[in-house]
Amino acid sequence: MNMLAVILNSTIRSTTPILLAALGSAICSQVGVFNIALEGQILIGCFVSIVANYFTGNVYLAVLCGMLGGAAVASIVAILQVKYKAADMVIGTSVNLLTSGLTSVLLSTIFGVRGSFSSPELISLPKIKLPVISEIPVVSRLFEQLTFIDYLSYIIAILMFVYLYKTVSGFHTQSVGKNIEAADSLGIKTLRTQIIAVLVSGALCGLGGSVLSMGQVTLFTEDMSAGRGYMAMASASMGQAHPLFVIASSLFFGICQSAGVLLQNYVPSQLTQAIPYAATVIALSIFGWRAIRKKNA
Amino acid sequence: MDKIKTYLKRFGAIMAQPVIATILGLLVGAVFIIASDENPIEIYQTMFSRSFLSPYYLSQTLTRATPIIICGIATAAAWRAGYINIGVEGQMITGSFAATLAAIYIPLPGPLLLIVSILLGMLAGSIYASIVSVLNMKFGSSIVICTLMLNYVANYIASYLVSYPFMDPYGDGISLVTQTIPESVQFVKLSTTNNLSIGIIIAAIVVIAFYFMERKTVFGYESKMTGFNPNFAKYGGVFERKVMLKTLALSGAIAALAGICEIYGSKYRYTDNMFTSASFAWTGLMAALISNLHPIGIFFTSIFLSGLQVGGQAIQRTSSIPIQMATVIQSSITLFVSAKLGVQFFSKWRKQKKQEPAKPQESKGGAETV
Repeated sequence: MNMLAVILNSTIRSTTPILLAALGSAICSQVGVFNIALEGQILIGCFVSIVANYFTGNVYLAVLCGMLGGAAVASIVAILQVKYKAADMVIGTSVNLLTSGLTSVLLSTIFGVRGSFSSPELISLPKIKLPVISEIPVVSRLFEQLTFIDYLSYIIAILMFVYLYKTVSGFHTQSVGKNIEAADSLGIKTLRTQIIAVLVSGALCGLGGSVLSMGQVTLFTEDMSAGRGYMAMASASMGQAHPLFVIASSLFFGICQSAGVLLQNYVPSQLTQAIPYAATVIALSIFGWRAIRKKNA
Repeated sequence: MDKIKTYLKRFGAIMAQPVIATILGLLVGAVFIIASDENPIEIYQTMFSRSFLSPYYLSQTLTRATPIIICGIATAAAWRAGYINIGVEGQMITGSFAATLAAIYIPLPGPLLLIVSILLGMLAGSIYASIVSVLNMKFGSSIVICTLMLNYVANYIASYLVSYPFMDPYGDGISLVTQTIPESVQFVKLSTTNNLSIGIIIAAIVVIAFYFMERKTVFGYESKMTGFNPNFAKYGGVFERKVMLKTLALSGAIAALAGICEIYGSKYRYTDNMFTSASFAWTGLMAALISNLHPIGIFFTSIFLSGLQVGGQAIQRTSSIPIQMATVIQSSITLFVSAKLGVQFFSKWRKQKKQEPAKPQESKGGAETV
């Protein structure tokens, strides 16, 4: 029983970055933008929040900076891909490679180290202790070591659902992805909507990145996003870009990651590390690849 | 004479964009070099003198360029047909690992073993790529995500295999390695001082073969058509699914060859993470994107990018700039090429200049150019 709670707890913790990025991917596909630079947006979030953490010593400011960093990388996508209509795959892959190189270069420029950076001066995200639940024996294990971002990610998902499906402005946003000409003729500022969606996805990925580098561990390693951006895309497409379904599909990826960590005690770690990636391929095949790339439909 | 002139003009128009992008990319690099308190001119000087300007470093650049060129062609083979294969790395790992094992464990005489093991490796690479096309056909799984995920799967499984069943206990003691491949399958060397082998010639042959396949064969035409417009290709009687199967299998086989050239030509054994750490596949991808998937362009761009990396290694040794600076410059170049920003800006500026003296008829001319 205790074991199960530990597994679920680790699932929740590894879900958060994927969920946040998947929501970013969902909002992009809702407005018909195929954003594959999520990977880079997460990575820059990891990096910038560690840098801000080191120099300001304020963990909340660091989270904010991580979000801004993600949005800054997203603005490259917004300008080149959305405004100037450059090929989405080309922009996405080169932005991902650019951030990968850039973070390594800046790591050595700013901290003078290569590979990874960690320091006792870094402050990790405070862990929230729930008032009543932390008294109950097994359930408390379930909720231990969680940061405010872990809770926030589900709130964001619900807010996004309310916005997209329950408000007029949300319907307008959706209409941009469904039929851009029609939306345009309705007087909706389609370009602006798309650009904002991309920037929001950048901020969400940046938030996911900051929990990745300051949540369970407090350090930055080269390429620490490790394909999570692409997993988030898979998760968003499995959840059909619907925020509430995306929660479910992201939890699946969280389970795969925590299963991988758990099995390390029994199976060589090289094989368990492959589990989340293989699971992504299998899950995508089972649930099918729906309309994340709507404009080609 | 006129023909040459128009040809040169066309060549100039094609080259303008990558050249402008390269200059801008180097400027972006310079910004970060200045930020690291180094002199960009000095850094670039070391970078280029230690990559192109001396025979020793030039042959090192060409050695590194070999797998990059072939990866670039593998990428182009899939992308030009509209199938976004970003899993070249995984196909490269699978293929070359299979070939290495075949070379070590199959008891065959030298030349025969060389051919058999290379073919087996290419087969493994194309099967690995075909997993994705089958999944896409049966379930509609995304090619982009699946190919990328399989990179990690291939690297981790190879990492397991090289750590346990196929580890050479008498390896180099630093990293996990397989046994060395027999000397009879090692590629002939072209240089006595370093590892430049006939791999670079194989790469050139792949480029030329791909160039002709693209232009002169039915398959080349079909795959280009599907990339152009899948609906049109279906209408024209091209079976899109068949083309996808063939295209991805071909791409995987070429990717495998890239890894095989690296192992047979210079490393002689599979080392854990050897392809991911050198990021041959991603550099090849960038070369393909910068040269707009043109095979001849890929050949020269790959050599240039490889030079940036070899030069990057040199500056990593002598200054505080890490080798990843090469990645920053490369991906900036790719972004500038794909954005066509430089060229657009340039042509706008030229048009404006042309228009300035002819101000009276501005209203008409202006409308046309906008």
